[in-house]
Amino acid sequence: MNAIVELDEPTALELAAQMVESGTAPVDILEQCRNGMSIVGEKFESGDFFLSEMIMAAEIFNQVMDLIRPQLRKTTSESKGKIVFGTVEGDVHDIGKNIIIALLEAEGFEVIDLGVDVPPAMIVEAIKEHEPDIVGMSSLLTVAIESTKKTVDAIVEAGLREKVKIIIGGGRIDAYAAEYIKPDASSDNAAHGVRLCLEFMGGDKV
Amino acid sequence: MSTEHEELYSQRKERLDRASALKEPDRVPVTGGFGFFSAKYAGISHHEFLFDYEKASNAVIKTAVDFSYDTAGSVSRLGALPFTLAFLRDYDGLAPVWVNGPIHDILGVRYARFPGRELAEDAPFQFIGEEYMKVEEYDELIEDPRRYLVEKLLPRSCRSLENPGSSKAMASLFKWGVESRKSLEASRRLGAELKRLGFPSYSSGFSYAPLDFIGDYLRDVKNVLLDTFRVPEKIKQAAVAVGALIMEMNKIAAKTAPEGTRAFIPLHLNEYFSPKQYNEFYWPTLKQVALDLIDLGFIPLIFYEGYHDAHLETILELPKGKTVSKFEKTDLKKAKEIIGDHSCIIGGPPSSLFIGGTPAKMEEYVKNLMEDVKQGGGFIMSPSVSIPASAKPENVKALMDAVKKYGVY
Repeated sequence: MNAIVELDEPTALELAAQMVESGTAPVDILEQCRNGMSIVGEKFESGDFFLSEMIMAAEIFNQVMDLIRPQLRKTTSESKGKIVFGTVEGDVHDIGKNIIIALLEAEGFEVIDLGVDVPPAMIVEAIKEHEPDIVGMSSLLTVAIESTKKTVDAIVEAGLREKVKIIIGGGRIDAYAAEYIKPDASSDNAAHGVRLCLEFMGGDKV
Repeated sequence: MSTEHEELYSQRKERLDRASALKEPDRVPVTGGFGFFSAKYAGISHHEFLFDYEKASNAVIKTAVDFSYDTAGSVSRLGALPFTLAFLRDYDGLAPVWVNGPIHDILGVRYARFPGRELAEDAPFQFIGEEYMKVEEYDELIEDPRRYLVEKLLPRSCRSLENPGSSKAMASLFKWGVESRKSLEASRRLGAELKRLGFPSYSSGFSYAPLDFIGDYLRDVKNVLLDTFRVPEKIKQAAVAVGALIMEMNKIAAKTAPEGTRAFIPLHLNEYFSPKQYNEFYWPTLKQVALDLIDLGFIPLIFYEGYHDAHLETILELPKGKTVSKFEKTDLKKAKEIIGDHSCIIGGPPSSLFIGGTPAKMEEYVKNLMEDVKQGGGFIMSPSVSIPASAKPENVKALMDAVKKYGVY
């Protein structure tokens, strides 16, 4: 879908609506969106796109998803993996989280979004309930370095550390923070984060 | 001031001024930015740090004296630029407005969350942007931004001002004035005491990037970014209109600020934009504000938050030696290459290194950084944002020790 890559919101939404109306299978529409988002992700990683373009692309993607979701539920598509995702305790910023979730969904992951300001206990509970392959934690604030560490520690204490891969990311998450928190992977770039998740799943796009 | 403190004061001031003027001082200066670390270090809660002026001042003093950087920290408080701009024409000079704990209690500021109120006792305060202005209201803002702030933004962003003209709203403004006086006096006492102890203040002025004002206080970050795609012309006009109001503020500030006062401008949206968008939507009005400040005798001290690598060249469009550029995650070596002989650079260790690092790692960081940026002067060391509460004191000390070892000219 060129309209997504060109960030042409009116055209993208109009085309999606036309396709729905003309009976195009929702999985086919989804496939086109995924291709578009995949190019968007690549452009972001190569430095052609910046955050504002990512936010616009995610906004278009989410609107198209809202359009096709009712139909999409009826069909089952194979998931590339299950991810529990949230912004950590003490932080309510969700721009970063929402960008990577849009990219992950476009890539074919099943994402359980726990929202923002998520306490460690809630993430531990979500791991027990959903048995995800990956746990993703996002943040913006400096204080989140400590909350992310607390959450990883809580996962260790609950005896669940070996059951999941942990990826962390966000504004103040860098190599020093990762060394301190000890996740399986970290990134402050959403598109790179998606590639790391694919690697966890033994994916081909490395 | 004792002779020893007087000497320290002039040494530090000279060091900072020389580096800012792109010259080599005796060694690389190190500025405070102790933030909430002061509270933790002095053994008071974040709540006390924001609500109790005396305890907060004592914490700032203790931290400054014990770590002996070239500047002290300050008592944390949130900005209240919408009020400053709203009161511009009807206040004698610039209204001394900010949001600290007691003022937050009085006004019920919706964009602020404070420890011991909306947050746990020991959490740093937070600024939470929201969509206070609807996209349909751009024309109203462009037409008369000050009026929009007074009539729309203030009632929407403060619980106590919900009904303008009500006795609650008026009483709140009165209480706010009384509290501001107390807060201002505490702040002056602290400043005088720090000066007596030999700590110069690095910047006392303040200004803002017009588009950030729209993103932070009116539309919220995400919406303002989407607006650049959806209503590009409106957002450009709105930035110009808000910019005019900000420059009106600069002019009033200039009446009482000594020549050469550094005016701090923290940027927020800069790293979100591609160079094309930055130059189309963000930079023109920021540049105008910066040039205006320089004309008025200020030195803009611009904090380029996040990654600013893609926009470094634009700094060369401002006059040489008339600005100071603080960076957070930008590659400092690259910054030195591009703007090093044009604008003094401020930068240094990330929060994570203060929290999770060791003195040895801090030393290694400083050693490497000095190799990249020390040469020729024009560099000031500072924590990349501010020192976080959970920083290890030994790492805070290690920064200064390492600069004394590797930062001497």
